[in-house]
Amino acid sequence: MNSLNDEPKVEAITVVLLEDDAPTLWRLQDALTKAGYQVRAAGTLAEARACLAQGAPKVLLTDLQLPDGHGVDLIRETRQRFPDTEIMVISILGDEESVISAITVGATGYLLKDAFPTDIAATVRDLVAGHSPISASIARFIVRRTQNTPEPPPGPVLNTARLTPREIDILWGIAKGFSYAEIASHLGLSRQTVPGHIKNIYRKLEVHTRGEAVFEAVQQGLIKL
Amino acid sequence: MNDHDEDATAEQLPARERRRLQMPRLVQYLLLQAVIAAACVLALLQSLPNPPAQYQVTAFNLTEAGVERAVTLPYFSPLRNAMNDPPRFTGRFVRPAGEAARAWSVFLPRFTNGVEVTVNDVVILDSRRDPAANRPDRNTPAIAVIPASLLRDGDNAIAIRLFIWGPITGFLDRIWVGPDELLRPSYDQRTLIFVTLPVVFSSWQAILAVILGIMWVMRRHEPAYGVLAAAMAVGVGQAFLQTPMGETPFSKLNVILISSAPLESALVLTFALLFSGWKWQRYGWILFIPGIALALGGLFGNQALSRTLFLVLAVPMVGISLVIMAVVTARSALKRQNVASFLLGCAVTIMLTCWIADLLSVFQMTPNRIFTARLSYSVMLVAIGAGLTWRFARALNQVDGFAGRLVTQVREAEEKLKASFAREEERARAAALARERTRLMRDLHDGLGGQLVSIVALSERGNAGAGIGDAARAALKDLRLVIDSMDDIGGDLMLALGSWRERAMAQLRPHDIALDWRAVTPQGLPVHPELRPWHVIQIVRLLDEAVTNAVKHADARRITVRIETLAGADGLDRGCITVEDDGKGFEIAADGAAAGAIKAARGLRNMRSRAARCGAELELSSCAQATPQGTYQGTRVRLTLPHRFPDSDGAAG
Repeated sequence: MNSLNDEPKVEAITVVLLEDDAPTLWRLQDALTKAGYQVRAAGTLAEARACLAQGAPKVLLTDLQLPDGHGVDLIRETRQRFPDTEIMVISILGDEESVISAITVGATGYLLKDAFPTDIAATVRDLVAGHSPISASIARFIVRRTQNTPEPPPGPVLNTARLTPREIDILWGIAKGFSYAEIASHLGLSRQTVPGHIKNIYRKLEVHTRGEAVFEAVQQGLIKL
Repeated sequence: MNDHDEDATAEQLPARERRRLQMPRLVQYLLLQAVIAAACVLALLQSLPNPPAQYQVTAFNLTEAGVERAVTLPYFSPLRNAMNDPPRFTGRFVRPAGEAARAWSVFLPRFTNGVEVTVNDVVILDSRRDPAANRPDRNTPAIAVIPASLLRDGDNAIAIRLFIWGPITGFLDRIWVGPDELLRPSYDQRTLIFVTLPVVFSSWQAILAVILGIMWVMRRHEPAYGVLAAAMAVGVGQAFLQTPMGETPFSKLNVILISSAPLESALVLTFALLFSGWKWQRYGWILFIPGIALALGGLFGNQALSRTLFLVLAVPMVGISLVIMAVVTARSALKRQNVASFLLGCAVTIMLTCWIADLLSVFQMTPNRIFTARLSYSVMLVAIGAGLTWRFARALNQVDGFAGRLVTQVREAEEKLKASFAREEERARAAALARERTRLMRDLHDGLGGQLVSIVALSERGNAGAGIGDAARAALKDLRLVIDSMDDIGGDLMLALGSWRERAMAQLRPHDIALDWRAVTPQGLPVHPELRPWHVIQIVRLLDEAVTNAVKHADARRITVRIETLAGADGLDRGCITVEDDGKGFEIAADGAAAGAIKAARGLRNMRSRAARCGAELELSSCAQATPQGTYQGTRVRLTLPHRFPDSDGAAG
């Protein structure tokens, strides 16, 4: 995991990092810089927007609760302006509330604030490689939304209608603590395809536009026209 | 009234199949009716006991329409109406000498319509004064004691005038003249059968009329009862009214009532039809036409007309009604197989047999003239009474059964409702918990969580803060555990273990300890619907403790977590979680606590108490000695979950 530094850098990966808590910002920045990423740090939404104005980063890491607004707005903007940018939300608890709301606007992963520096770098590297991280509790939250319950559980609205049975099976495996290899062997998949499935799941949970959000809401009966 | 439940199974079969099934039943039924009819005929052929033959007088000289000739009784007179010039029978009888001390009587067992008996030119009996004797449908006998002063030893003259007023021809049976004590028993027996018994049955009919009337008043939707009540009422009126001899408005009404047999038979027939499931139709009035015609004839004509009409309308009407009823009741008895229809069918057979016998008698095809149709009607009354009682008892049984079923259903519904209420409550509780969890998470996220993260970050900047950082990380980990355990996992402990695995891996990664995760059985652990967040937190903390021990004290390189479902000796499945390390073990003291390090001992005690609270069994095995190869067997914590988690804290103490 520490080997990233030793790899020859063909092109430095640019990361925009938005975190309002200064010590945490320093810590994350340290971990990423040491791993060889080119980090543009920001403490507010305005600063982050300025950073983004300089050009599309490969990765955007953002906190949600910010002094001048909410990170969700930045994620949505970035997703629309730079479709190739991988977006990850920085979460304290890795809870579904923050992570799911970020996923529905276009994030494809999350990072725990207290993760060890090596884990931080590894997570970003996996993300760039197309492997979206997912936790058991997030997977649990999503699969529970696929089950029909008379009233939706509290938390962010989530449309799981587009998930295939296989994707739901994968989520169940993750929720129950099985590794990708175990899930792959249970479901008769190749181990390498599982992370790709997870990224697909995130993409399917994304609500692309406000219009679409309204459409989804109508489809789910959340809004009555 | 329609017992459709009884033929429900028959209804579902195709018509041909049903017919095939009913064929043997029909044959059985018809055979039984034939036996009943045969028994009836046998009974009718039995002649009533007569007085000693020596007192019988049969040789008479008959003066009829001015012609005199010798006849032998019994005699059928061809006349239909001979009130003014009645046929006169004259004969002789001998009273032996020495009989003067005994009273002698004249006994006439059967005659139609009236007789006037003269002995030695003195009238001793005029039956026209006895109203019961005036009705041709009753077989009323007559007896008269001859005043002793009239009788002579030796030859005595007896003359009988036979009054005939229709509707049938006249008839005079053999007569007996002899000692009263010898004649009277026979007379009494006939009176009992032909006079007293009909009165008894008429009383029974009156009671039936009242019962059925009440039944109909209470159950208006069953008109059959009303119709039958009307039939019974007409029958009672008919039985107790007497034939008038004069022509008055009252007597006209009387005649109408007495000739009400077609009306009564039409009503009984209507009842039988309704009883067998027939719906009243407008053309049903056809049944009542003979009765109405007879009533009109009685009202506007004279008695003679209504008597003629009676013979033409009433008698065939009774017969037709009986035939239709026989068919209807047979069908009903076959289709529904119920006792009431069956009894009614048997009664109809008996009545029909008697009616045919009466008809033969009217047309003088039998040597006697005893009418039994009216008497056999009592069988019908008994059948109706029995059928009613049977229906009533059955209805009571059904009510009992229904009440029982209702009680069961209500109890079931109540239980379902309770269960549903409990489920609803549970769901509401889970929803409230989820909302609370969301709120708590936001609070922790905004406050404590962020601060802890800052502590971790700050401690990493300085070298001295390693301990603070670990503590803050542990606090964060615990925070995540608390929030995680509050989530509703639907009783699937595997979902909680999934999150725990992630946290454990994050914890072990810096120590370079591998976590080997083995779900031995495919489904992992059994689902426990009764699983509560506090169970989850105890189990997860217990597992945390096991892992922490392995990290801190055992110096392990690999930790294996094995998850499986074991079938217990009692046949119930139990989940089992085993945490094994390959580090240095420790000696377990006799009391189950670890000997040596106080901290480790406290940790083990904690684990035991957590397991006990969840009703789980904790099994510890550890070995402090290294094997000869220099490897350690390590420590094994084996947690066997209960089949059912306890509702309340198992170890409150």
